Amino acid sequence: MFQSREELEKKLAEHHYLIDRNVATVVYLAVKLQKPLLVEGPAGVGKTELAKALAAATGSRLIRLQCYEGLDEAKALYEWNYQKQLLCLQLKQNQNKSWHEAKDDIFTREFLLRRPILDALESTEPVVLLIDEVDKSDEEFESFLLEILSDYQITIPELGTIKAKSVPLTVLTSNNFRDFGDALKRRCVHLYLDYPTFERELEIIKLKVPGINQLLSQQLVSFVQLLRKQNIKKPPSIAETIDWARSLLTLSVSRIDADIVQSTLSILLKYQSDIDQILPRIPSLLPED
Amino acid sequence: MLFLEEKILEFARLLRKGGVNVSVTQVIAAIQAAAAVGLAKEDFYTALLSTLIVDQMDQPLFDKLFRLYFFSLESSVFEKHTDHNEQETDGATAALQLVDSIEGTGMGRGAGATPYLLLVKAVRETNYPLLRKLGKMGIESLGDLEQGAVAEIDKLVDQAKVAIGWYQAVNTLEKIRVQEKVSEIRYCKWLDCLSFLEKYMESLLEDLLVRKFGSMILEEIALAANIREKEFFRLDQLEIQEIRKQITKMARKLASRYARRYRRAKHGKIDLRRTIKNAMINGGTPIRLKYRRRVISKPELVLLCDVSGSVAVFSEFMLQLVYTIQNRFSHIRSFLFVNTVDEVTEYFTNNSIEEALDKAFAKARYAMSPFSDYGRVFRQFEKEYLPTFSSQSTLIILGDARNNYRHDERDSLQRIGEQVRKILWFNPQPQEEWNTEDSIIGIYAPYCRQVFECRNLKQLEEVTEAIL
Repeated sequence: MFQSREELEKKLAEHHYLIDRNVATVVYLAVKLQKPLLVEGPAGVGKTELAKALAAATGSRLIRLQCYEGLDEAKALYEWNYQKQLLCLQLKQNQNKSWHEAKDDIFTREFLLRRPILDALESTEPVVLLIDEVDKSDEEFESFLLEILSDYQITIPELGTIKAKSVPLTVLTSNNFRDFGDALKRRCVHLYLDYPTFERELEIIKLKVPGINQLLSQQLVSFVQLLRKQNIKKPPSIAETIDWARSLLTLSVSRIDADIVQSTLSILLKYQSDIDQILPRIPSLLPED
Repeated sequence: MLFLEEKILEFARLLRKGGVNVSVTQVIAAIQAAAAVGLAKEDFYTALLSTLIVDQMDQPLFDKLFRLYFFSLESSVFEKHTDHNEQETDGATAALQLVDSIEGTGMGRGAGATPYLLLVKAVRETNYPLLRKLGKMGIESLGDLEQGAVAEIDKLVDQAKVAIGWYQAVNTLEKIRVQEKVSEIRYCKWLDCLSFLEKYMESLLEDLLVRKFGSMILEEIALAANIREKEFFRLDQLEIQEIRKQITKMARKLASRYARRYRRAKHGKIDLRRTIKNAMINGGTPIRLKYRRRVISKPELVLLCDVSGSVAVFSEFMLQLVYTIQNRFSHIRSFLFVNTVDEVTEYFTNNSIEEALDKAFAKARYAMSPFSDYGRVFRQFEKEYLPTFSSQSTLIILGDARNNYRHDERDSLQRIGEQVRKILWFNPQPQEEWNTEDSIIGIYAPYCRQVFECRNLKQLEEVTEAIL
């Protein structure tokens, strides 16, 4: 897939995803060791984006499984289409078949509904399997993932074991909402994505918001970086910095001042209590010249 | 390669000492990873970090041990010692020159060489070479170190801080901040400088010790840093913050497990009436089965928390944990005591947990003296509150049962025990100290269903999992 870390860095950059050296190393390791990649970090630092960029960079299909409480194997792995099975049985009622024949008839791939994970394993083309927000799923579901993530196979009692045709590049993301099982974590290579450094965020802004001037982008990034250090409920994410930059560009602002920040602060902060806390302190938070 | 494998194995063993759970699979992955990325310092670090550490909480310890094991210890994998040192000396000479020049020109207040003014200057200019120089000065002032020093690293760092006038400097900086109306941006940079210096001095000191006394010390440092198994009363402020985060995560884990059981329980008995009614839609074929709903009993919980001195931190953790999963219980009532007891349930109804804890500790009347008096509390508790509890409630007592040699009033506890469903006692004191000095846990134990030792995060997790 990738021959070296440098190649990976370059390919991702071509798809507008900039990563640091250590992040590239971890991703490269996951590819090289054929282990799933578990990405943790605060909301909005580009965890899901990473998987998308990987899919784009390798030219693979992205299969996404969004986790939520109550997600079970029937929705994630496979399910027998039993309404269809019932119909089939009713049609064959008069043919006087033995139990074995009937069983072999209805437990075939025709009646198997492929859910994202089985889909990823059975795919003949290379795929990136994104299991998003694993921490939102239940403990029970984690156990289902174990077999898949360590051996890349699923055992279906009626059909046997289905092995992956090619090992999918698996990316799991977690918001650290709850602590999930060690067994699952141990099978993965870990990546902690944090908010980007000033320089990195500046590059991202330049890449994603073409046409923004140097001074403005520097000012706005340093303001956002400072905001993240404040004790607020939801620090602004990269996506919000980009949104803000776009809005400022649309408003044809060339440099930020207290007024403009005041009127656009709601783009960066999503909680009223955060806004109330920051609003009076804007002048002292503004970057100096 | 064998050499490297051994190093990684030994390092993993060290991490385990520090309370990080490292499995054999992970070690194998680490070895493969190290082979895949090569030995450049940064990549090697990333390779080990991404394979050995599964919990963000362990990263600071990993960083520390990595630095000490692979760089400070004599038998280093890397040949980096020399250039590492060179860099250092470069920085130091620059700083030295700087110090010279400062001493030459003076500070305007006529105190050229006073370290605290230098520190103020270094921070105001965010001058990192000078900060490093000062850090070294501080550590050098400690003189010759004994092997036992490893147990008191915090204390020694503090001494070193005093030696370079840390507290004076912080004071002066605060004054300057007000006088000159320093912007928050700049003030943040100052704080960065100070925390850098603090960390730098600590790492210098550890470096020094490891180089002097070898791997023995390393193990001790690992053991001391293990916050999962550190006694609650020995935690510092930063570690308490960390544990609070851990407890929130732990609570969510417990809560979600409960949610699953509840869902599962719905798949018990088939509700025939509803199934048949539903089958009408499909012309009489029961395609989907309906299950009878089962109601899960939610226990009523009463927490009686000793908040005197060393036990207070533990009680706080427990309250936080219990209130985070309050939907697990039909009703939670909480009481604080030292030598008199007061109910604090109401604070938790409309506040966030942090606010509630602050308010409860600030407003409740739980102490008329700083010495706990279990006997008096049990008597009062029985008289004032016991009649309001149902016989279904579980009473959890948090405390070390150190009664300051007062009356134990065991009869009161017995009557309480007869009234409620069960009493559980969580004792944060190490078990080997039970029933020594003024601890009388042995007298109270017969009236409790179970007494648990609960002295660190690990045990707290085990105990809560067991009772819920």
